[in-house]
Amino acid sequence: MMDIGRQILDQQLVDRSGINIGKVDGVLLELRGDRPPRIAAVLTGGHLLARRLHPRVESWARRLTRRWGPRHHEPFRIPWSKVRKIGIDVRIDMGADEMVPWEHWVRDHIIGRIPGA
Amino acid sequence: MSKLLQIALGVFTSIGGFLEVGAIATTAQAGAAFGFQLIWAVLLGTICVTFLVEMSGRLAAVSRHTIKDALRERFGPRIYVAILVSDLLINLMVLAAEIGGMSLALQLVTGISFRWWAIPVGVLTWVLLWKGSFALIENGVSLLGMVALVFVVAAYKLHPPMSQVVGGFIPTLPTERPYHYWFTAVSILGAAISPYLFYFYSSGAIEDEWDEGHVGVNRAVAAVGMGFGGVLAIAVLVVAAMVLHPAGIEPERFEQAALLLSEPLGRWGFYLFAATLFISCLGAAFELALATSYSFAQGFGWNWGESVRPRDASRFTLIYTAMIAVVSLLMMSGIDPLRITLFSMALTSLTLPLVTFPFLILMNDGDYVGEYGNGWISNAAVVVISLLASLLALVAIPLQLLGG
Repeated sequence: MMDIGRQILDQQLVDRSGINIGKVDGVLLELRGDRPPRIAAVLTGGHLLARRLHPRVESWARRLTRRWGPRHHEPFRIPWSKVRKIGIDVRIDMGADEMVPWEHWVRDHIIGRIPGA
Repeated sequence: MSKLLQIALGVFTSIGGFLEVGAIATTAQAGAAFGFQLIWAVLLGTICVTFLVEMSGRLAAVSRHTIKDALRERFGPRIYVAILVSDLLINLMVLAAEIGGMSLALQLVTGISFRWWAIPVGVLTWVLLWKGSFALIENGVSLLGMVALVFVVAAYKLHPPMSQVVGGFIPTLPTERPYHYWFTAVSILGAAISPYLFYFYSSGAIEDEWDEGHVGVNRAVAAVGMGFGGVLAIAVLVVAAMVLHPAGIEPERFEQAALLLSEPLGRWGFYLFAATLFISCLGAAFELALATSYSFAQGFGWNWGESVRPRDASRFTLIYTAMIAVVSLLMMSGIDPLRITLFSMALTSLTLPLVTFPFLILMNDGDYVGEYGNGWISNAAVVVISLLASLLALVAIPLQLLGG
């Protein structure tokens, strides 16, 4: 038994080496005919959070990121089979790497250029 | 022993978050204008902030969540963003006041206008955050902050009439200038109950890796730390009541507040006032900058930590960097630091329930705090005091603005 709203949605996602990826911004359910639906994946990043705030916020975000910031705009799908532990955080058996494009963009374009970073 | 060292977190939180430019300015104003009459407001603020700090440490120790982390989880993105925006605006204003406070301390000593100090002070704050670890900043500020005890020494040396001081602990109606009285009371409450203070504290508890074994020590840290801040704030008020009130001086500029310690302690008092102002504002600037970075990082799930290298928490670092840059430029433009201080403190009071009510819901939610939920006393104290502060602010701020 699991309460998706309380135990998965908006929880912290942590990768296999302990790096914070983001929050769970959405949950993808698989509808399976007359059998009960099941969780196919959790979603994070992209414009998903903006959409949850308001559709207008999403269109602002899309316009803003058309020329600015990292190229990747779609939310990342983390297959349910990769989810390892749900407790304080949602831990997954994957590396954060491509899933934090903004973190890398800010590092490469701003913070990494300051001496001593 | 190591748990005793945790007291440092409480003392640091207290010096930075409690006794800073806001508390010094508001209590000095109160003492100068109304003698000992407003001590009750400091007491009320201290009680409320002690409860809130204890709660935020308990939440972190039991649930391993900071307040912001838990707020995002529990209330979802819409409410979270609303809290974040109001938080950001107030933190920007208060950080401006702290940068102004440090610049004024340097102006007092050097005679060079505070406007020219805003950028160097901003750079200093930023470099220490960029290079320093959490432990270094925490212990450094707690240790240096002991200089603030000079206010207690001064209050003692001035031999205040004890019956009047004790009388100030009981709320009374003003005999003159009621608008100014209530506005000052509201500002004192806002200066004491600074939300960034307990957001910061809960993140500090996570950075110091607290667990359930810390619930007891957390209670002591909160009480000792905030009690320390409260005693210092009352000492400032008492000194102002003894020095400025009889002379009929009401500090309209910080230079006049510097007289506070010159009378009881002479030339040394003047320098110690400047040192106390500088260090407490530096501590507060650290807390404000970090608390804002924490709020963004924890709400959106970024990597965070003051002891993590900047490049490994780039967005977290970007937030405090940008914030300090904006505010330093703002203060260089010559905004009156005293005015922005008093106004931002009153605004903090006004928005208090927005901060404390969602937090109280967390503290009564078994999913987070299990068997360590709030008792009725802490719930009632926080609800009553934050509602009172907010309602008073709602009435007092417009009256003060209209009345000049």
